[in-house]
Amino acid sequence: MTGSAWLLRRLAASLAIIFAVVTFIFILIHLAPGKPCSENLEPRICDLLTHQFGLDQPLAVQYGRYLVELAHGNLGMSFSLRRPVLDALVETVPFTLQLAGAALALDFLLGLGLGIYQAVRVNRLPDVALGNATLFVYSLPTFWLAPILLLIFGEKLRWFPVGGASDPIFCPAVTSLFCVADRLWHLVLPATTLGVVGAAGTARFQRAAMLEVANQDYVRTARAKGVPERQIVLRHQLRNALLSFITRFGLAFPFLLTGAVLVETVFAWPGMGRLAFNAILTRDYPLVTASALIASTVVVAGNLLADILLGVADPRLRVQAAAEADIATA
Amino acid sequence: MPRRSSRSLHIVLAVVALAACERRGGCTTAGCGTLIDAAVVEPPTLLPPSTEDIVASDIGEQLFLKLADVGMSTNTDGDEDFQPLLAQRWEWDGPLTLVFHLDPRAHWQDGQPVTAADVEFTFNAYNDSVVASPFRPKLQRIEKVTTRDSLTAVFRFRERYREMFYDAVYHMRILPAHLLRSVPRDQWRTAPFGRQPVGDGPYRFVRWQAAQSIELAADTNFFLGRPGIRRLIWRFTPSLPVAVQQVIADQADIREQLVTPDFVERAKAAQQLAIYTYRGNVYTYLDFNLRSADDSTKPHALVRRALTMAVDRASLVKSTLGDLGRVPPGPISALVGIWDPDVRQLPYDTAQAARLLSLHGWRDHDGDGIRDKDGQPLAFHMLVPSSSGLRKQYARLLQEQFRAIGVRAEIDELEGSVVAQRTGSGNFDTALLSRSNDPSPGSGITQSWTLAGFGGSNFGRYYNPEFERIVQLAISAPTRERARTLWRSALETINADAPAIFLYALSNIGAVHKRVDNVQFRPDSWAALLRTWRIPPDRLIDRDRVER
Repeated sequence: MTGSAWLLRRLAASLAIIFAVVTFIFILIHLAPGKPCSENLEPRICDLLTHQFGLDQPLAVQYGRYLVELAHGNLGMSFSLRRPVLDALVETVPFTLQLAGAALALDFLLGLGLGIYQAVRVNRLPDVALGNATLFVYSLPTFWLAPILLLIFGEKLRWFPVGGASDPIFCPAVTSLFCVADRLWHLVLPATTLGVVGAAGTARFQRAAMLEVANQDYVRTARAKGVPERQIVLRHQLRNALLSFITRFGLAFPFLLTGAVLVETVFAWPGMGRLAFNAILTRDYPLVTASALIASTVVVAGNLLADILLGVADPRLRVQAAAEADIATA
Repeated sequence: MPRRSSRSLHIVLAVVALAACERRGGCTTAGCGTLIDAAVVEPPTLLPPSTEDIVASDIGEQLFLKLADVGMSTNTDGDEDFQPLLAQRWEWDGPLTLVFHLDPRAHWQDGQPVTAADVEFTFNAYNDSVVASPFRPKLQRIEKVTTRDSLTAVFRFRERYREMFYDAVYHMRILPAHLLRSVPRDQWRTAPFGRQPVGDGPYRFVRWQAAQSIELAADTNFFLGRPGIRRLIWRFTPSLPVAVQQVIADQADIREQLVTPDFVERAKAAQQLAIYTYRGNVYTYLDFNLRSADDSTKPHALVRRALTMAVDRASLVKSTLGDLGRVPPGPISALVGIWDPDVRQLPYDTAQAARLLSLHGWRDHDGDGIRDKDGQPLAFHMLVPSSSGLRKQYARLLQEQFRAIGVRAEIDELEGSVVAQRTGSGNFDTALLSRSNDPSPGSGITQSWTLAGFGGSNFGRYYNPEFERIVQLAISAPTRERARTLWRSALETINADAPAIFLYALSNIGAVHKRVDNVQFRPDSWAALLRTWRIPPDRLIDRDRVER
C-alpha cells in the first residue's frame, strides 16, 4: 500500500516535471530569435506563412491553443516537414529507441564486464592496461569519434555503411531476416559511437563499486568460509555493487538522448534526435515542443524505472520510502 | 514415404531459393539500372508550387513536366533554344499572346489525359497568394491563361519583353487539376498529395521513407520515350561530408555538387567516379544595409567603394575555392547568359581605398589603428550564417582585409533562421549572403536589386533610378545584342554604386559513378536530363539488377 502511494507520488511529480519542461521549452523557443523561414525565402512570403501558422498571435494565445490541442492529443503540424508532428514522431521514435537500446546494451554489458574483470584483477597488468584504455576512450569526444569511425570503417575499409538505417534498394523496409541483419549492420557504427564512450565510464564506475564492496565483512567472511571465488564475485560483490550501476542506468537516458542528436545527424540515422535538431534550426516550434515532450517523458520514465529498480535491489530504500509515506500520510 | 516428402521439401526449398536469387539479380537488360543520389536536404513536399527546395525541384523534374524547357545553352532569350515537353508546339498570336498545343499523348500516371484545363489551373494556383508560391513574383507579367480547346492553352501577357516565352514555361510545372481542385489552397503546403504525388513525367513516385529516401520508378509508358534508368533514389544525409563519403565509398552514385576543393580531390581519387564540371547558379556577396533614412548612418557610396576596393577578391577566390569559383562581374551567377568578364568593376587598390576614406573624413585620429570621424570608429558587423563553412572562412578573410585599411568588422555568426529574420527586417549592417539564380538575368536582378525586391530579396534596399531604367530597357530591348549592351551597362552602374561586394560565383563539380553513360548536367538543373542517362548492360552492378 505504502509502495503504491510512493509510486503515485512519483508519477504525479513526473507529470509535473514533464509539463514544466514542455512549458519552458515552448516559451524559450518562441522567445529565441529567428523565424521558421529559410535564408533564401523572400520576407513577404515568410510573413504570409507566419500568419498562416498563427505565429503573429500573442505568445499567451499560442500557448493556450497549444495546451488545448495537446489535451486533445494533437501535437500540431510541423512547419518544416509540412505534416502532422505525431506522424513524424511515430516514424522516428522507434529508430531512436533502436539506437539508444543498442548503445545502452553496449554501454552496460561491456562496461559491466570490463568493470568486473578489472576489479578481479586489481592492480595487475590487465587492470592497469584496461584502466588506461577506458580512460582514453572516456575522454574521446563523440563529435570527433563519429566522423573518425565513418572515415576508417565506412569510407576506407568499407566494412560498414556510411550512414543511413537500411539499404535503400535491398531493404527499404524491415521485412525479412536479411533486412533485420541489414538494420543491425547499419547500427554498428552509430551504436558503437554512442555506447563505447559510455561503456568506458561504466567500467570505471563498476570497478570502483566492486572494490568498495570487496573489503566488506560479508565478503571476507564468505572467502574465509571457503566459498569459491566466482561465487563471491557474482553473488556477494556484484549484487551489492549493483546500486551504483542502477543509479548510472537512470542517469544514462539524458546522455543517450543528447548524444543521439549528434550521432543521428552524423550517421544520417532517421531518429528523433536528428528530427529535433533540424526542428530547432528551422524554428519548427510544434516539432521542438513535441520532441521535448517525448524526450522529457523518456528521461523521467528512465529515472523512475531506476528508482524502482533501486528499491527492488536494496531493501533499505524500500523501508525508507515506506517511512516517508507514513509521515506524509500522518 | 517420409524420405520422399523430405526430398520434395528440399526441392521446394531449392526452387524458392533460386527464385529468390532470380528476384535479386534478375534485371540484366539495357533498361535496368539504379541511381542513388546522396542528397543533403530532404524536401518538405513534392508539390511544385509550394516549395523552391532544390531537391524537391530535382525530383519534380522527373515527376511533373513543364510545357517546354530551356536547352543545354540555358539561353532564355526568345524561344528558339527551348525544347518541347508537354507542349508539342507553340505559336505567337499577336505580340502579347502565346498559344501552346499540348501533346495528345501526354497523360497523368493515373491514366487521365493532360489537358489545357490543367495548364489554366496551374497558372491560377501559382498566382494565388494563398498558396504563397515562391514563384509567384516571376509570373507577374502574365495577365491570364485561358483554354481554346482541351489541348490548347493561351497565355496573355501584360507587356512585350524578351523573356516572355521563358516566363511562360520555366517557372511552372503543370499540375493535375482533377486531383488538386478539391484541395483547399490554404492547405496545399501540407497536402498529402505533396508526399504521394501523381505526375506526368518520365518517372512515377514509389515511396517516401521519412528522413531516409525517396524512390521513383521509370514510367515505361512515358510518351516521350522510356527513361534509360529504371529506378532513382534520393538518399538523405544531413551532413555534406557524409554524403560525399557515401559516393566515395560506392554506396551512392551521384553527388551533384562537391562544394569544396578538398571533396573534389577526394572524389577524383575514387576510381569508380567520374567528375563533371558545369556552371553554378549561386553567387555570394557582402550586402550593405542601405535602409536607414538618415544619411549620416547609411554607409556612404564612397565608403562602400573604398571597402570594395580594399578586398582582393581574385586572390580570395583562388585561395579558398581554387577552380571552383570566379569573381562575378556583378550580381549574377555563372549560369546567367550575360556573364561577361570584361564588365567594368572597381579595382583592387588599397591605396585608393585609403585615399577615398580619408577624403570622406575617416582618419585614424586616436592612433588605435581604426579610422574614425566625429568620435565614431569606422566599424560594422558582418552577419554570417553559422551553417556555411565557406562563408565563415570568407568573413575572417574579409575582416583581415578591412583591418588593413583601418576598418573594424565584427563577425556575427548566427543560425540561418536568425540571419533570415534579421536580413528580412533590415536589422543588420552588412551580411554575407548567397543567392541562387535561375538562368534569366531579368528575373534574378529584378528580384534582388531593384525596387520590386523591396520586401523581397533586396535586403539592403538598394535603389538607383538610373539602374532601374537600364534594367527595364534591357528586359524589353528589341534585339539580343541591344539587350546584352544594356545589361552590361546595368552591371557597370551597380558595380560603381557598390551596394554590395560581389565576392564569388561558384562553379559546380559533380561526381557520378563511371558505369553511367550519356551523363549530361544541364547547368540550371543537373537532374533535368536524367531520363536520358543510361547504364549499359555490361556495366550493371548488384544494385542495378535487383528486382523487388
